[in-house]
Amino acid sequence: MSNRWNLPDLGIGVGLRTVHFPHILSARPDVDWFEVLSENFMDTEGRPLHVLEQVVERYPVALHGVSLSIGSTDPLDVEYLKKLKTLATRTRAHWVSDHLCWTGVMGRNVHDLLPMPYSEEALAHTVARVRTVSEILERPLVLENPSSYVEFAQSTMPEWEFLARLAEDADCGLLLDVNNVYVSAFNHGFDANAYIDAIPADRVVQYHLAGHTNMGTHIVDTHSDHALPEVWDLYARSVARTGLVATLYEWDEDIPEFDELLAEARKAAAYRAALAAPRALAAAR
Amino acid sequence: MQAAVVHPGDIEAALQSPRARREVARPDVDAVILPSATLNPAQRVGIYQNMYLLRMEEALGNDYPGLKHFLGDDAFFALVRDYVQVHPSRSYTLNRLGDRLPDYVSVAPDVRRRDFCADLARLERALSQVFDAAETKALSAAAIDQVAPEAWETARLEPIAAFRLLALRYPAGAYLDTLHDEHHRHPPARRQDTYIAVYRRDYSVYRHDLTRGAHDLLADLVAGKPLGRAVAAALKRGGRKRPQPDDLFRWFRQWVAGGMFQAIEL
Repeated sequence: MSNRWNLPDLGIGVGLRTVHFPHILSARPDVDWFEVLSENFMDTEGRPLHVLEQVVERYPVALHGVSLSIGSTDPLDVEYLKKLKTLATRTRAHWVSDHLCWTGVMGRNVHDLLPMPYSEEALAHTVARVRTVSEILERPLVLENPSSYVEFAQSTMPEWEFLARLAEDADCGLLLDVNNVYVSAFNHGFDANAYIDAIPADRVVQYHLAGHTNMGTHIVDTHSDHALPEVWDLYARSVARTGLVATLYEWDEDIPEFDELLAEARKAAAYRAALAAPRALAAAR
Repeated sequence: MQAAVVHPGDIEAALQSPRARREVARPDVDAVILPSATLNPAQRVGIYQNMYLLRMEEALGNDYPGLKHFLGDDAFFALVRDYVQVHPSRSYTLNRLGDRLPDYVSVAPDVRRRDFCADLARLERALSQVFDAAETKALSAAAIDQVAPEAWETARLEPIAAFRLLALRYPAGAYLDTLHDEHHRHPPARRQDTYIAVYRRDYSVYRHDLTRGAHDLLADLVAGKPLGRAVAAALKRGGRKRPQPDDLFRWFRQWVAGGMFQAIEL
């Protein structure tokens, strides 16, 4: 299966992180693509942008943001969106993603991915905003499912239904973070497999995988360390539905050396190969 | 929820705060937010609240490592906690969060050695600003050589975009130089007038210590004073420490070689 926009399967990628800049520029590692944190490069003309320009010359990139605040009741920040569009053009980004969340109201930004109620009113509100953003960016927005620690009594549907309906009604893409599915399933007590099975497969343009920190009473999405086998199982389950889709490993806390990060990301190769093998057999018959 | 997340106290105080209660009355929080199998609603909101200050502290600690080092972890965290109450982030980027921290420190009542800390913060803010500034091509020595001698009297020099000039009352640069000293040898935070040019060349940020005379001349030049007038003023200043013409020539060559200027207006 391919996504409905025929956005490419970029392969296996990692996040572009400052600590790895020297290695990336000197060693030119054999990585398929990089995910670029949009806000880190929208407000600087210095070395980070200079490095990014060199990375873009050699590697495909996608942009991933944390401040779009698509679910907020504050007006969309048009200046932010213009800068984001400029960055997307400058980097030839294959897509632009952010999160299903809000990050602040009344002009403030708490710089966290705050959860939304999953109601008809919130759905209509978010659909309208996603459509506006997609028009400004002149491309379909891609939204990631968040990990969350709060649920609202006001919600009238599960998150996976909200996300699926949002994707269809707003015609947006999905970045399916299978670690976030695992984390939220633990925190809220729902079935992670049911979540995976409900996602419209042809709208998934990217995956995230990551580690997390289990506090006992809840799990925190720390993007640290290796992903659990259960998270890889969710990835396998989802890939069987979506087909080969760009996959990114996130590791943002106690970031290891680049080669260790890439080795963790490359575990996805086995799952992708397993998916390709039956098809190769069928083609050979 | 936002009011509770950004509140500096514990979660119960946060939920009882006037701002939070304008959003939802405390008894109603349990009706708005569902409990999980292991946490009550207040505890679930508390997860976000705990992460908020940690994230603010991490961002400001990255931009002000010297200040954090001098104050220590606990005092720096308290400073951040108080600072973000007055100057919360209103930007899509955390890069701007600390823009007002030096001014805040200069009047903060609970900061140890406040004046020294304010100077340290000013220097670190300048370093950040220069790091992120636009890249502008520096004047070369060859370009300088092409200026006719008679044109220098009225020439005005424009600094590169990635340039800041500081006049401080404390040796903040000397303190930054010792941050990673494994023997923890740091200069005393004693009053000592200090002048520093912070600039970027080839995407690396540099600090250039200046004498008072050099600073005053450079300040006149970057303010747009014609070179002839700036030099004349420099030769009159300083009393017994008045610079000599050779000093001015040497400084000018250093600044050009350092790539501090981007244009000459003749």
